This record gives sequence, structure tokens and C-alpha cells, in this order.
Amino acid sequence: MNEKPLLIALPKGRLEDELLPRLRGTAFELDATALKTRQLRIPMAGSGLSAILLKGADLPRYVAGGVAALGIVGSDILDECPVDLLELRDLGFGACRLSLCGPAGTTLDDLRALPHLRLATKFQNATERWLRQEGITAELVPLQSSVELAPVLGLADAIVDLVQSGGTLRAHNLAEIVTFGKATARLVACRGLYLSEPERIGQLAGALAQLLT
Amino acid sequence: MPTHTPRFPDLLFGPAALLRRWEDLLMAHLTGEGYQELHPSLIMRDPADPRAVRFFDGDHLVGLRWDFTEALARTLVRRFQEPPPRLCYAGPVFRTPSQPWDPVERFEVGCERLLEDPGARGEADHELARLFMAVPGLLGLEGCLLHLGDTALLRRPLEAERVDPALGAELARVLDRKALHRAADLLEGHPARERLLAHAQALLAGPDGIRSLDALALSPYAALLETERAQLASMHARLSAVLPPGLTFRLDLSDLRGLGFYTGPTLRLWAPGAQRELAAGGRYDDLYPKLGKPWYAAGFCVRLTTLLELGAQA
Repeated sequence: MNEKPLLIALPKGRLEDELLPRLRGTAFELDATALKTRQLRIPMAGSGLSAILLKGADLPRYVAGGVAALGIVGSDILDECPVDLLELRDLGFGACRLSLCGPAGTTLDDLRALPHLRLATKFQNATERWLRQEGITAELVPLQSSVELAPVLGLADAIVDLVQSGGTLRAHNLAEIVTFGKATARLVACRGLYLSEPERIGQLAGALAQLLT
Repeated sequence: MPTHTPRFPDLLFGPAALLRRWEDLLMAHLTGEGYQELHPSLIMRDPADPRAVRFFDGDHLVGLRWDFTEALARTLVRRFQEPPPRLCYAGPVFRTPSQPWDPVERFEVGCERLLEDPGARGEADHELARLFMAVPGLLGLEGCLLHLGDTALLRRPLEAERVDPALGAELARVLDRKALHRAADLLEGHPARERLLAHAQALLAGPDGIRSLDALALSPYAALLETERAQLASMHARLSAVLPPGLTFRLDLSDLRGLGFYTGPTLRLWAPGAQRELAAGGRYDDLYPKLGKPWYAAGFCVRLTTLLELGAQA
């Protein structure tokens, strides 16, 4: 069997802030010195384990491609990313709502009445599915960041975005109109590695899931 | 100059020589067991599948044969009144990729066993399994795992509960990803939710030895699946007895890929480090009746493209 060190892909940003404190004092704790540097592979406390910190949108590809055996990523990313990997556990933390949001006071009927509705979003697949389900026609404006600026600056009439506390929306005088999805952190695994080395990777996945749920 | 994912790869020198060597080894293995070689055209005259790569031959729309198994079946039903019992092939085939970056054109060696007598299926499955188990040894692969599954373990409960086919297909997709939590979301409000989730939990108990069937005994559908359970136990016993050295054999009840295609036992071969299975196959008795012939079929293919990606040296 292949006994090379195992790499675990961890998310940068929102989920990172909730995840790293949970790993402290365990075999999955990240080396504090390496974290402060630009080191690519960050050693973990457990022997033969290291982590790589990645943007959520890139993470599934690293796992599906077998670079990382396991990963932690938001379900919102998985729903947008057509790659084949195993989704072993809903870890429950990092919970957000996927919502249609617009200027405060706007209703869904107001948006339906627009002759050319423009929706800015990072979540095109989920938004398209919801639009089909609701029978709404809209132009999707794909954006990668600061989506909430789009209605404020006139690029779009409304947005579809993840909402956690709603603070960012309120700061831009926006409000949730409809909530149609939810997202939480998921433990994912490379199908090929998981199935071909079930003892080694399965046990590691079990330990990580137990720690984080 | 734009770059593209190599959906249609070129093999140069070393990989081409390796491919030829593997093809020769595997074809000698199959023809030595009485399987007759077929070399159907790469072009289909009736490219019904919208995923096929299609183009015009003069005024006629044609396409690359896609998916290979069905394209081959269409050829056979046109050319034969009675099923040729044992077939094999080698060369490029075109299949739907499982990852966006996977090649569409792949190099395979495969075989198919056709029958008119349903009573002979058990022996045919055993014959194919023996051939399948010999593949790692022929290719010089070590530490491989053989997974035995059966998609009927999910299909029969879905039929019994009259689950909408679209919901059933989505359920199979999420269970194939081992995402029990997604199954729970999908079945929200369904009258059979609790039963189906308890069954899914039994299926996801993990690839293991004969003990996996103990988990199945706890399923609400245990009585419904008694035949499949007995069949898997029998296959496990028979195959374990002739298992080549160095090959690990597991029952994988969560192998639900191809729910709409496979109708009986399935086999998959995994190797350490491979991103996808090196060989896969099983029983697909619905294919030929759909094309107008009462024939029973099973077969497997060895994915030499995956082996090339793995960098194996036979």
C-alpha cells in the first residue's frame, strides 16, 4: 500500500475562522509557526499529516484530483462544482442561508414584475435551479466577490448570496426576500483514494468527523 | 493559442507502446477463454444519444459511437438472430466523463457474455468474475481491491415504495457520494423516508467482507432483498475460493453507480492511488430487450487510460 503522507485540504476565510479553533489540541492541529509563514504544506500535529489552505472554490478540485485525500468545504461550493468526490459528513458548522436579497422593502412580486430582472450571484447553478422551480426569467450576472455592491451600484436589481448574520446586507440597506437554500461545512474525500485505501483514509475521515460534529 | 483539456488524447511513444502491450495481454487472456474479437466502426449512423460527438457525413448526421456498450449492442441486434455468446474488443471508446477534465476518448479492453437462457446467468457471472480477477495479475498490479456490489439493493426498494424515478436517480447519486445527509434532505416529506434512510444506512456501512451482509439483514427491506443477499453471499464464497494472491476482495453495498443500467451484480477494480476504477462491469439484462432482443447480458471493461494515468509499468 501507498504510505506517503496524507494531505488534508482546509478552507480559507469564513469556514477557516470556525474550523481552526476546533482543531487545536488534536492530531489535526496546524503548526502555528508554519501558519504564520507562506509555507504551502502546513504540518499537522499527527504524524504523516499535513494541511493545505485553499480558497473554497478551488478546494473540491484538489480533493477530486487526489492531491488531498480529504477536505472540508461549504456545501454551497459543492453544489456549484460538478466534480466527482465523496461527501462523507455534514459537519454542521458554518451554517448559512442562500437567499434572494434586494433593496430593503423590495418583494418577490416587485422583482417578478420587472421586464428584465438582473440577479448578481456567485451561485449560478443553485440560482438557475431556483429560478426554474419558480418559473422566473432573469439575467444572471456572475460575480466572484462583494456581490452586495451590485444592486447598490446599479449592476443588478437583486442578488443571490449566502447570508450568515445579515450584517453585510444591513450595512448596504439590503434585506432577504426569499430563502431557498442552506449551506454548512462538509467533509469530502477523494473517491479513488478513499476506496483504494479504505482502512487508512476511512479511519482518518472517521476521526475528523467525530472531532468536528 | 488556446489550450483545452485533452478530451481526445494523443499517445506518443512510451505510452503508446505500453497500451499496445496491455491490449495484447488482455486480448490473449479473453480470446484464450473463447471470447471472439469484434472491431465495430468508430462511427454510428444513428447517433441517438445527445451527448455523442456528432457531425455530418455528406447529408447524413453521424456520430462517434457513444456510449460504447449500447453502440455495440445496436450493432449486434442488427447483425445476429441469435446472440454470439462471448465477445471482446480493444481500442478507443467514447464515454461520458465522470470529472469535467476526464478524457472522452478512452482506451479499453472489454468483453461481453450474452445468453438466451436466464438460468445460465449465475454461471456466466462467475465466468466473468474469474476473468475479471485475473486482470491485476496480467497487468502486474499489486495491492488491488476488488469490490462486489449490486444496484438491485437500491432499485428494488425504490420500486416497492413507488419512488418517482427522478427522485430515485438523485437518491442513488447522493448515496454513491456516501452523502447520507443529502439523502435525508432529498426524502423530506416522503412517506417512506424513515424506511429508505434506514436502508441507506445499511448500504453505506462500508466496503467490507461478508459481514456487510449482516448490516443488510437489519434493513427494513431485508425480506424483499433475500434473493440478492443469497446471491451476493454465494458469489462472495465462490470468488473468495479462487481469489488470486495479492487481491483484496470486498463487498461494497453502496456501489450504486449505473442504477439505471446495471440489473445485477457489479464488479470494480481499484488500485492504490488511482482516481477511478481500473476495471468495471456487471450484469445489464435490460439493455438488449430495449433493443428488441430477449437476450441477457453481462460484461466488463478494463480502463487502460486510467492505468496510463497511474503510471503503472506492466
